[in-house]
Amino acid sequence: MAIEPIKKILIANRGEIALRIHRACHEMGIKTVAVHSTADTEAMHVRLADEAICIGPPPAAESYLNIPAIISAAEISHADAIHPGYGFLSENAQFAEIVETHDIVWIGPKPEHIRTMGDKIEAKLTAGRLGLPLVPGSAGPVETFEEARLVAAKTGYPLIVKAASGGGGRGMKVVTSEAQLETQIGQARSEAKGAFGDDTVYIEKYLGDPRHIEFQIFGDGNGNAIHLGERDCSLQRRHQKVLEEAPSPAISAEQREHMGGIVARAMADMSYRGAGTIEFLYENGEFYFIEMNTRLQVEHPVTEAITGLDLVREQIRIAEGHPLTLRQQDVQFRGHSIECRINAEDPRTFAPSPGMVKQYHAPGGMNVRVDSGLYAGYKVPPYYDSMIAKLIVYGTTRAGAMRRLRRALEEFVIEGMKTTIPLHQRLIEDPEFQAGDYTIKWLEEWLARQED
Amino acid sequence: MSDKDTNDEPMRVDTDLVKRLAEMLDENDLSEIEVEDNGRRIVVKRKLSVAAAPVAAAPAPARAAAPATAPPAEPEAPARDAAGTVKSPMVGTVFLSAEPSAPPFVSVGDRVAEGDTLLIIEAMKVMNPIVAPRAGTVREILVQDAQPVEYEQPLAIID
Repeated sequence: MAIEPIKKILIANRGEIALRIHRACHEMGIKTVAVHSTADTEAMHVRLADEAICIGPPPAAESYLNIPAIISAAEISHADAIHPGYGFLSENAQFAEIVETHDIVWIGPKPEHIRTMGDKIEAKLTAGRLGLPLVPGSAGPVETFEEARLVAAKTGYPLIVKAASGGGGRGMKVVTSEAQLETQIGQARSEAKGAFGDDTVYIEKYLGDPRHIEFQIFGDGNGNAIHLGERDCSLQRRHQKVLEEAPSPAISAEQREHMGGIVARAMADMSYRGAGTIEFLYENGEFYFIEMNTRLQVEHPVTEAITGLDLVREQIRIAEGHPLTLRQQDVQFRGHSIECRINAEDPRTFAPSPGMVKQYHAPGGMNVRVDSGLYAGYKVPPYYDSMIAKLIVYGTTRAGAMRRLRRALEEFVIEGMKTTIPLHQRLIEDPEFQAGDYTIKWLEEWLARQED
Repeated sequence: MSDKDTNDEPMRVDTDLVKRLAEMLDENDLSEIEVEDNGRRIVVKRKLSVAAAPVAAAPAPARAAAPATAPPAEPEAPARDAAGTVKSPMVGTVFLSAEPSAPPFVSVGDRVAEGDTLLIIEAMKVMNPIVAPRAGTVREILVQDAQPVEYEQPLAIID
């Protein structure tokens, strides 16, 4: 099969990730088309792109999620590929299919894999078949209370009832005893029905205090796949990641090789194509599959820092039909990287704080990276995600990375709005964080302690 | 101009009449009263705090105010209507006639009724007629046949 180089990519996203994709494209000599809402006319990636097309008003449903407008924009600009970034349409299998039927290259996984992994029950069944360790629980949806009772007896309490179509913590109920089971299932069903229009639920063992560990994988779509190690994303507030690091302070090289080998084989077996992330809960030395994200992740730069591989470039190359750049034995993990997500939010109350950037100074120096579309005079629109910048540092050791992070946060100036920079500054001074001793519950508890 | 106070010679002005007209203006919330009697003409005007919109403005800078920090749900509609500018509701390709050999739907100077097709925008192989939002005269057509357009791009001016 002859390789047809991609010449022009339409970036179906906004903010820092649109800029990140633009940068990879220009480094590869590929032209970019920015599509944007009326609220993003002045955005940095729109200003830098070779072409910019306004596709709709500020609400995402009418612009960044507007499939006909985006396809139309690709047609009028003669883009030969679409990169969806993360969020928005990145995990929409129907969009991926539409893109491909228009003879436009979809820089992402095969639509059927997006669909399978987007359905929680299907994903779990598939993961089980591929040999990934699962959280014990129901094999699929639970229909009747009797069935639920049997599964629960086998799984043990506490357990969690989850909505098949759920996400972001909605439609989840923790059940501590059989006496509560029936009412909690009923509540989970009605919540799920209301929020997602689907009352299908399933049951899982409830893990008390796990870490969130995810593996980055890449497949070529033809049965070859590699893993790029793990990221520790345990520091979360309301299911939103706040700070991520790679490698995890809790995982040994042997565990990485063992678990990485399992996920890479699983992806090879399904002939997965492109970038993906397999998320696990990790407790007492055991991994439990929770879900797979069939796209680039926000926190991908920490993996780039420790492997030296440009993940967006790799996505584009695979979409063009190239084989994987690295074989597993070529992948080397070096040093340590930490990413802070900087949001336009009050660092204590987390109230959104959109507004005009009056002063902007990004930190620099060795092994410091800032991915952000901010500049002095830019207005952060109130319509979208509050993440305005990512600060990524690298050090040969975790301690070195933390020292560099402290220094870089000190240098960072964003005036005109409240940001979460002060939160990160306090967080990295905590002895438990410094010891790497944290779980997915730790940050919320730490925040509660800060209030006292 | 002699409408300023000058000391040279007394103006032949019926100040009482002006005063009464001014009161009428106020009482009835009017902006202007003009009376004429035997060649004498008095106009009493009031400056409104909000200047009335010019009738036939150039393509409005509609975008300037819309984005960014303004609270959500601020529609862009008023500016569009005020200026008589018809803007593209979608991304696509403009066609000025029903088929390549056919005459254009409208030309500059044509009178159009509300709902008349002005042009077509093709998006994803679907032909979307763009119609006159109200009756008027086509002052300008701002796009060319087969030209790609983006959302909110001005297409034509009708007044």
